[in-house]
Amino acid sequence: MSFEQIIVSGNGDSLEEQELSLLETLDHVLNRGLVIAGEITIAVADIDLIFLGLNVMLSSVETAQQVLRERQKKSE
Amino acid sequence: MTGSEQNQLGYYVYCVAETAAAQQLDPGSFPAAIEDKAKLEWVTANDLAALSSTVSLAEYGEEALAAHLSDATWTAVRAMRHETVVEYVAKRTSVVPLRFGTIYLERSGIERMLNEKGRELAQIIERLRGQEEWGVNVYSDRATLLASITEVSPRLRELARQAEAASPGQSYLMQKKIEALRVDEVRASLNEIVERIEKTLSAEATDAKRLRILKVEATEHGELKAKFAFLVKRSQFEEFRAGAERLAEENLAAGVRLELTGPWPAYNFSTETGLQ
Repeated sequence: MSFEQIIVSGNGDSLEEQELSLLETLDHVLNRGLVIAGEITIAVADIDLIFLGLNVMLSSVETAQQVLRERQKKSE
Repeated sequence: MTGSEQNQLGYYVYCVAETAAAQQLDPGSFPAAIEDKAKLEWVTANDLAALSSTVSLAEYGEEALAAHLSDATWTAVRAMRHETVVEYVAKRTSVVPLRFGTIYLERSGIERMLNEKGRELAQIIERLRGQEEWGVNVYSDRATLLASITEVSPRLRELARQAEAASPGQSYLMQKKIEALRVDEVRASLNEIVERIEKTLSAEATDAKRLRILKVEATEHGELKAKFAFLVKRSQFEEFRAGAERLAEENLAAGVRLELTGPWPAYNFSTETGLQ
């Protein structure tokens, strides 16, 4: 991933970086970015629900790893 | 759905860049499109180009897409591909990232959009040139903050001393009062820390936004108290990072941790209201 995460808290107990990066990424892609009216643009009202669903799903580390592997495979 | 609709294609759009810059990029090294069998291609209209790939409307039509979106794995994988594509372009030129799920039924719809929104898009591209978005998350460990506040607050120290010397009945009431005061002071102290973080880092950035927090983001890592996006010049990043590190050190004892994420395409600074 080109995207890097830096934790600047100074103490050693780091977060589960990958899982968190994944959620951050999804938050950016799903919740933000310019909304230009296409013929299909996901309704803004649906976005929170989608994100919440993903959030719950990704709390399973295994699922998160699977998505990340998928991403790495495709960007190679 | 009829057979012909099954085979119909739509155009998924990722981002918008300048045509001249877009033509410099080597299509041979593009990452995978949102559906990996499709190819990424630029749809241009004068000075602007939108990066697009075809999608089957059997999968991405309005109803089909809504159904897919409730499948979290499906959505997460596509969202990551969207991000990979936008990142690829953002690393190489100034770009307006679009929200996930922008789809046109006709190629000409994209061209029309580029023409109609051209001025605005060009302004955003210009404004974002040479800059990246960095995210800052502020987490708080309440127990640590509570403990540190009792130590540093003169009022709380004095009350605690009095409570020790008082009769059991009085002491009980004073303890109650101390608890209430501690809660107030924790809130005030956190607000102050978050404001200082925003102010200090804004000074090293072109623009700043405080983002909303969904309740679900409270994790075992501490509670997410604030979430910011900063637009930072590439040439300014070392100062920005040093500022974040200083803030992290200063607030460590109060149980506050900072997390820096990025660099991101400027998702939070690509809206029309972001134009100054």
